[in-house]
Amino acid sequence: MAGHEHWLHQIDAELDGELSLAERAALAKHLAACTHCSGARASQLEVRVALARSAGDPHAHVVPRPAIRPRTLTLWVMVAVIMGLAGGWVAYRQWGGPGGEPVEETRALIVVE
Amino acid sequence: MRSLWSSSALAAVVIAGLLQGPGTRLTYRVRVLERTGAADSARVLGSGSVSGSLDTGLRLSLRGDSVEVEALLQITPVGDTVSLGAEFFTRRLLARSRRGLPLWEQDSYHRVVRMGWADTARIHPFGRTRDPDARAIWLELALERNFAGGAARPAEELQLSDSLHDFRVEAVLRPRRARVTLNLVRGDTVSGPRPMDLLPQGPSRIVRLVLGRRATSLDVRLTRPQPPRALRDRVLALESDVVCLRVSAPNAPADQSIGVICGSLNNVARRLPLPTGDTLSATFAWPGPR
Repeated sequence: MAGHEHWLHQIDAELDGELSLAERAALAKHLAACTHCSGARASQLEVRVALARSAGDPHAHVVPRPAIRPRTLTLWVMVAVIMGLAGGWVAYRQWGGPGGEPVEETRALIVVE
Repeated sequence: MRSLWSSSALAAVVIAGLLQGPGTRLTYRVRVLERTGAADSARVLGSGSVSGSLDTGLRLSLRGDSVEVEALLQITPVGDTVSLGAEFFTRRLLARSRRGLPLWEQDSYHRVVRMGWADTARIHPFGRTRDPDARAIWLELALERNFAGGAARPAEELQLSDSLHDFRVEAVLRPRRARVTLNLVRGDTVSGPRPMDLLPQGPSRIVRLVLGRRATSLDVRLTRPQPPRALRDRVLALESDVVCLRVSAPNAPADQSIGVICGSLNNVARRLPLPTGDTLSATFAWPGPR
């Protein structure tokens, strides 16, 4: 079972183009003899084809990864910070911090009758 | 007619003077009430009174599960009225820490109101509630003054009809005199008691105590303790009935004392070892009425 785990990792790496020639040769030799691993490779390929189609590139060589541009990342970080601050301000206005009511309202009062 | 008017005026001045003088006994009467829901219905949770000379103060405390209010009330007569001053010290349970321990918020502040002797002061210890039908607790305080022939010892009374709230009243009075009883102790042998009335911050006195066949002379002087460092102790004058006995050898310089014994006027013996190997035992108590 541990051997299958190893070869599944190798299949993943091969499809990402990260294996050396010697490793690819070893994997090909194993796939020729192992129906379980060759089936897993076919499944992996089908999943990747589906992902590439959904990304709008059916002829891709590898799975297209979403590219986040630095400007977009900065914008989203700023939006998150502003939303957090606004939420905190609204919550403080609504419920206050510990001991939210004005201190004078909690202090003793003497009324002469 | 003019003579009658002037006699009446003189009598009024004399009576007023007697009521303001040292023979006047002041009584604070306090009731704790709780509104039970309907507009004017309230039930008494407890009541108490404290009396003493005109400079007697009232220390009251009202404690619940999540809030504690302590106050020191004192009056200053101003003509036919009285100025009621109150020092409050409150603690509220704010939250619990991550370890489950209580986190308290404490506050201290001062209130002053002017009232007549016949008036009743209503004290809202937790502030006034906005909702008129909400469950609320308040205290009613009334003052009385009567002529008393020299009875100086403070007195306290307390009746509780509800155990949910811890309510206490205490008299606060700085003693003008203190009854000090001295003994000399060595092993199982104790000298005869040597009682005396001493004035705080008064002159020192030479005391001669005989234990066995040996006489020991000591220079004793009654003083007041240093003001407490803790805010609560200072605000509530918790050291008001504490006196200190400074003991030194006769004719010793003022800054060289054998030791100081401090304690409340509660008849508890306190001990001070002497350089001679004996132990001086001092007991402080309120003096008897004069």
